[in-house]
Amino acid sequence: MSLRRIRALAARIIHQFRRDRRTLFLLVVVPVLILSLLAWIYRGDGARAVSLAVVNQGQSPLAAQLVSGLRQDPTLDVQELDAAAAARALDRREADAVLSLPADLAIRPGGPPQEIQVTLEGSDPSATGAVLGALNRTLPATLVRAVDPAGLPIQITPSFLHGGPQFDRLDYLAPVVIGFFVFFFVFLLTSVSFLRERIEGSIERLIVSPLSRGEIVLGYMLGFTLFAALQATVTILFAVYVLRIHYVGNLGLVFLFTLLLTLGAVNLGIFLSTFARTELQVVQFIPIVIVPQGLLSGILWPIASLPVPLQWLAHLLPLTYAAEALRGVMIRGDGLSTLWVNLVVLSGFAALMVVLGTATLRREAA
Amino acid sequence: MDPIVETERVGKRFGAVQALDEVTLAIPRGVIFGLLGPSGSGKTTLIRLIAGALRPDAGQVCVFGRPQPSRANAARIGYMTQSAALYPDLSLRENLAFFGTLYGVPERHLRARIEAVVAEVELADRLDSPLHTFSGGMRQRASLACALLHEPDLLILDEPTVGLDPVLRRTFWERFRQLAAAGKALIVSSHVMDEADRCDLLAFLRDGRVLATGSPAALRDLTGHANLEDAFLSLATGVGSLLEGGIR
Repeated sequence: MSLRRIRALAARIIHQFRRDRRTLFLLVVVPVLILSLLAWIYRGDGARAVSLAVVNQGQSPLAAQLVSGLRQDPTLDVQELDAAAAARALDRREADAVLSLPADLAIRPGGPPQEIQVTLEGSDPSATGAVLGALNRTLPATLVRAVDPAGLPIQITPSFLHGGPQFDRLDYLAPVVIGFFVFFFVFLLTSVSFLRERIEGSIERLIVSPLSRGEIVLGYMLGFTLFAALQATVTILFAVYVLRIHYVGNLGLVFLFTLLLTLGAVNLGIFLSTFARTELQVVQFIPIVIVPQGLLSGILWPIASLPVPLQWLAHLLPLTYAAEALRGVMIRGDGLSTLWVNLVVLSGFAALMVVLGTATLRREAA
Repeated sequence: MDPIVETERVGKRFGAVQALDEVTLAIPRGVIFGLLGPSGSGKTTLIRLIAGALRPDAGQVCVFGRPQPSRANAARIGYMTQSAALYPDLSLRENLAFFGTLYGVPERHLRARIEAVVAEVELADRLDSPLHTFSGGMRQRASLACALLHEPDLLILDEPTVGLDPVLRRTFWERFRQLAAAGKALIVSSHVMDEADRCDLLAFLRDGRVLATGSPAALRDLTGHANLEDAFLSLATGVGSLLEGGIR
């Protein structure tokens, strides 16, 4: 092992990408752009109100109370129509749902249950969910006030162990976005630059030089770790100081987990680039290697909400452990005493990939 | 004196293709050893085996008395591959500094060595340009500079003069001659027969086998042809397939 040779290789990689302005831009600006977009989606106003047509068949006071209660819900755009107009509006998708209030709607203690009909347009699950959610929120509360204007004599007071009343989806997603992009870019950059070594033939020069396989792998890891650190730093600073996401943990741990993910991704890239002949074929690895991890590793949906076989699959993916650890550190302030399993699994993954990456560089590999 | 390179009944197969078969050669120091043959005859495979980029399936390749591939040999060999095999997005200086460091050229000598080799290949004025701005011939010269940088005892040059103009080709050969005179061994592959006369020893390769080895004069005597191309053709069987193989 020669530190001088390893450093020379790392320096060469840094020189190559330092001049490649577009890749640098991509590396740093894309995660920032995606985070900003997510912030806009989750925190911006102007979430589209769903449109609810109400057919009030009588003039009962309770029906009037319900309508005014629904009108106060900001997620609903309520208009009162007659039955025929409401059916037309639903058919033309001008209304997402029609609520029919019976003519004799009233609270009759001990009487038979009364039915309120909701017809949903139904072709957009998110609109369906929004309508039903709003109705379930608003109707019971309005009914309670109709019985007793003071409302229920019970109040639910929330308090939070982690997060807080302001904690939202962006806070939940941001820690994972950092890990995902580090993994994605490091994998992509390594496999493309390794493939270029093969295409240009420079790998042949490296193989016959005094550089050993282990030194090649270490040099590559060192070079790309720098870019990963740069990306992680910019992303974290942007998320914490510009987007003000919830952050209580230890920055050192965030970098530790990002580093482990980087080492795994570099060697995965070296390993998989052996199976590609062109840059297009490297790109074809993205739907195989990156997308399933994006879907299953708990980035978008909690792993516990997945079907059981998919949960097993998720626990084979390195990004699952990184996502869990980054969330643990940033949201709950977890330390290594809680996250040691993640540390062990990610170290194991990195070590396995180092072995595979080194094995692909056998003397006769080129 | 022991030869610098010795191959002993070397064989190499790629799938169904027997690229080399029973190749036995000895290359002493102080000579230019020419590997001649049409494309596909196994020249590059033999060169890669000697350079240590491949492992033989049969037989043994020894360089400096050690079987290849050997890391202990690596720093004493200079290898110029057929393509430039340098980094197009780095400048010539950065490329040379990188390979110089890999080959253990001491930091304090690196700058001077880089300037010396680029002067030799007449690229001193392009030292700080990125390689992707170079023409084919310039890349070829950059590649030679890279192979010379660490002053190797054995230089392996795979078709070094392809795409060079006649003036530069002559300069290259004069430089090869100086290196041989300084006691280095040079292996030069070529499919251009008029370069064969410039070598001290030749091996004619065809279909992965050595047809004949010897000095140009000995090969002329052996075949009774004054012209080396005719000598080659008389050694090879089937003139038609040779022409198809691209011999000039």
